[in-house]
Amino acid sequence: MIAQIILSVLLVSVLFYAWAEYRRSPVVALLSLITTTAGLYFVWFPETSSQLADFVGIGRGADLILYTWACLSVLVVLNLHLKLRTQLELITVLTRSVALASAEPALMRDQNESAPAMGRLQKDDVRSLPVIAAPSASS
Amino acid sequence: MIIAAYNESAVLGRVLSDVLHCGYRVLVIDDGSRDATREVALRSGAIVVRHPVNLGQGAALQTGIDYALAHDADVIVTYDADGQHRASDIEGLLAAIEQEHAEFALGSRIRGRSTIPPAKRLVLQAATAFTRLTTGLRITDTHNGLRAMTRRGAAAIQLRQNRMAHASEILAQIAKSGLRYVEVPVTVEYTAYSMAKGQRIADAVMILLDLFVGKLYR
Repeated sequence: MIAQIILSVLLVSVLFYAWAEYRRSPVVALLSLITTTAGLYFVWFPETSSQLADFVGIGRGADLILYTWACLSVLVVLNLHLKLRTQLELITVLTRSVALASAEPALMRDQNESAPAMGRLQKDDVRSLPVIAAPSASS
Repeated sequence: MIIAAYNESAVLGRVLSDVLHCGYRVLVIDDGSRDATREVALRSGAIVVRHPVNLGQGAALQTGIDYALAHDADVIVTYDADGQHRASDIEGLLAAIEQEHAEFALGSRIRGRSTIPPAKRLVLQAATAFTRLTTGLRITDTHNGLRAMTRRGAAAIQLRQNRMAHASEILAQIAKSGLRYVEVPVTVEYTAYSMAKGQRIADAVMILLDLFVGKLYR
């Protein structure tokens, strides 16, 4: 009974989490909702897990629960991946604004010493900006 | 005209000299290069916008589009930095936009006279079939970096795929916009340099995965 209550509390919190994630990724949220509800069902009616396992051809109820757990883990990894992509999009927006704010005009190829134009860059003005390269990304 | 470049200092000077010679205004988006890409671009006479970190070609092109739109460009041309395009093809794209009243002119190496290596042709055919199926666009080439778009067309493009999947994403957004597009024959020259920098079959799988995952969230 104690184990059932602890597991139920954990799974219900996953349910709330999946609900909260619905707006960001409906696919992940729905799959998590289904898997977690199945988990709750097995916690309270463990004997039916054996019948269901037998029905789908898995063998033991414990194996079925193990597979359900594996599915949940894959979903968690997928969700983390999506979150990382969202973070990357934020970084992209930030990087883009920085880049656009510091656009550099072309150096004049035919530099006229006698009439220096306002704001014209000289070749010596080319500065070496520090570069921070992301380790695995490439163009 | 926008050129996304990442560590392209070896060939960028020649590429820029070709296009600047034709009289186009060129913006190079230096995508966080660790070599002298930025310096080469500035000395060649291009405007340079520099990403402080490397994000990928898709992100760089969107930065270029944003810059061009903010600076009142009427037509925007995207062009690869690795020297595989011919500057003389740009005129054909611009003429197609004007004569056919299209918002997008897409370069096609299949319609042009390119000698495409057999393995590359196979991947390209699969990618084209996939794009035709998913977008409904009647095109013969995908992942061709040479394209032109009007101001109105560019405003309909908002790339979220930072890396190589942007080429498919751009086509999907063209299809979604419902704006008129034409394909124009162009020549792609495969050099040892561009082949080494180009896409492998494994990249095609990653592009598919990127496109799929991109649809899973908002």
